[in-house]
Amino acid sequence: MMKQAAISEREIQRGPATELGGLSAVDRSIRVPVLIFFASGVFWLIVASAFWLLASSQMHKPTTWWAFPGVAWLSFGRSYPVFLNCFVYGWAACAGIGAGIWLLARFCHVPLRSSLFPILAGVTWNIGLAVGVLSILAGATAGFQLLELPSYAAFILFLGLLMVGLWAVTMFWNRKPGPTYISQWYILGAFLWFSWIYATANILLTFAGAPGPAQPAINWWYVGSLLDLWLTPIALGIAYYLIPKLVQRPVYSYRLALFGFWSLALFGGWTGMTQLMGGPLPAWMITASIVAKVLMLLPVLAVAANYHLTIKGSFEELRWNPVVRFIVIGSMAYTAYAVEGSLISFRSIGQITQFTLITVGHNQLGLFGFYSMILFGAYYYIVPRLVGRQWLSQAMVMAHFWFCVVGIGLLFFDLTIGGSIQGFALQDPQIPMAAVSDLIQPFLIVQNVAVLLLVVANLIFAAAFALIFLISAPVKYRGAAVESSAEATNKIGSEVSVA
Amino acid sequence: MNKLTGLFFGVFLLFGVSWLAFAAYPYITFAGLQRTKDEATGALAPPGNPGTADQGARVYAANGCFYCHSQFVRDKNAGSDIDRKWGKRRTVARDYMFDRQVFLGTSRLGADLTNVGDRQTDPQWFYRLLYNPPAVSPESVMPAYRWLFETRAIQGQLSADAVKLEGKDAPPPGYEVVPTAEGKALVDYLLSLKKNYPLPEAPEATE
Repeated sequence: MMKQAAISEREIQRGPATELGGLSAVDRSIRVPVLIFFASGVFWLIVASAFWLLASSQMHKPTTWWAFPGVAWLSFGRSYPVFLNCFVYGWAACAGIGAGIWLLARFCHVPLRSSLFPILAGVTWNIGLAVGVLSILAGATAGFQLLELPSYAAFILFLGLLMVGLWAVTMFWNRKPGPTYISQWYILGAFLWFSWIYATANILLTFAGAPGPAQPAINWWYVGSLLDLWLTPIALGIAYYLIPKLVQRPVYSYRLALFGFWSLALFGGWTGMTQLMGGPLPAWMITASIVAKVLMLLPVLAVAANYHLTIKGSFEELRWNPVVRFIVIGSMAYTAYAVEGSLISFRSIGQITQFTLITVGHNQLGLFGFYSMILFGAYYYIVPRLVGRQWLSQAMVMAHFWFCVVGIGLLFFDLTIGGSIQGFALQDPQIPMAAVSDLIQPFLIVQNVAVLLLVVANLIFAAAFALIFLISAPVKYRGAAVESSAEATNKIGSEVSVA
Repeated sequence: MNKLTGLFFGVFLLFGVSWLAFAAYPYITFAGLQRTKDEATGALAPPGNPGTADQGARVYAANGCFYCHSQFVRDKNAGSDIDRKWGKRRTVARDYMFDRQVFLGTSRLGADLTNVGDRQTDPQWFYRLLYNPPAVSPESVMPAYRWLFETRAIQGQLSADAVKLEGKDAPPPGYEVVPTAEGKALVDYLLSLKKNYPLPEAPEATE
């Protein structure tokens, strides 16, 4: 039944299924570090949500009391970077590291001898980020986009990254002999790339004092790589594990998966400069980025086709499985994100969309619609296996799902339409800037509403996460929550709990 | 072991090319930029920044100005920047050679500031804008930066840099609103933003 898939074969070899209550040896050993990273992720997601709501309110009405006018540390110029940093380095990175080390441990089939190293990494990461966020609030930003954390905070963060990265490499080195799976490649690649770009960008920009004209190039090389070679491979690695697992079928084409990985590795570092179209850089840099953005469609389509063909035929049965829902929506958003990304990087379109709300919507589609949705799916799958309990309420999971989908959908369409209007208005020199502000005002208000929906989604998610630790689901619900739909439809109850 | 070595090599080699192109190359080449000398007048371009510029740039960064304002002018065929009178020519790498930190920016919720010191030469205009943006531009969604000012009792004469405020914003009698050291540094920096000298590689756009 599961012939070529390394994934299913090896999972089956792991012996008889354990009840959900009893953890496998690997899960037991990795439990604490993964949960520390997961809990940190949820914590930072809530902090990010608060600042997101604040920043999006300030954008359309800076003078009302809830925009806190006159309070320096709550002003837009600080609330916005704090939101982004908490979201990217708090939520996205912690959730990604948690899921990443869980996957690696699972695939390497070695229980940890000591979980001290990753736990220490988690603590270090949180300290670094907290110091950094407080510094931004106090005005001590490094002043580069997505590299706002001042050098001392970045250094602490890097130590944490180094610990968990070295740990991941060691784990891979000591794995049980046998075939490797594509997810391992993605996760390991992500750790290597992220360590590299984070170290390089910080060293060149702050310690080595890069010459002025070189700073934007380094900054946007970093941002492009951060999205395409850190967040993307983590999410893809998770989806490449969960999709075959949930449909109980091997990945449709392993060759296609490898092609997707290596083409991402080839083009992923080249995409950043499209943000600086028309900027003071050699033209070849921007051209190279445009070409890379278009070629990025290759790995994206390879991944999309592979997921689609793997899941095809099973989707109807699985559509009520929350994990599948989050992963499928996330994967679809990834395709949309990449297609839009290549469209807006053409010079003819880019000169209109550049500087507008379209780029904000585009980034949110990637960060929330794609990455976060897949990570939510990963939480729903992994956490019950580590805690040994079901999610308390399926209604809560569904509410979370719908708030996410409606919120991100509204946010994306609102910013895309508003951004188009803004772009065409900016393009017409007869329209003064004040009039452009007026034109986009309604869209900024809708943005605030959409952000509110997403903040509610995040709060529901955080509540569900807290409750699974606090309350054991009543017996009658056991099996009625997340797990069960897969279990019932697949009629392979044992396999589900091993997974 | 082979797999790991292969992965390492592949990952580093493929990605390393982009690192060379986008991080190492600009770091090395842009460090070697030189000024040009105008043959006729003997003026050097770019002329360099006033000493206070770096300090003001820190305030600019700390308050996140660059999340809404860009600092580069695109060529005539690449956008409306020149038609909007944000500059007479596009900006090139050499324009930024003296800047300790460069804020190109990727959003234009506000106007481009590449040449704002050329468009507005009166510090009072900047002070009034920062103190209460709608007073200068009614539609503005720019937040007020009141913490860059202080209200204090007038000691003898009105201070030279007291902000000229009207209506609701005016301080009570006997008091004046003056920029703090940070506020002054920021405005000095904004006034210094003018890339209005000629450069051979970026001729002024013609109709």
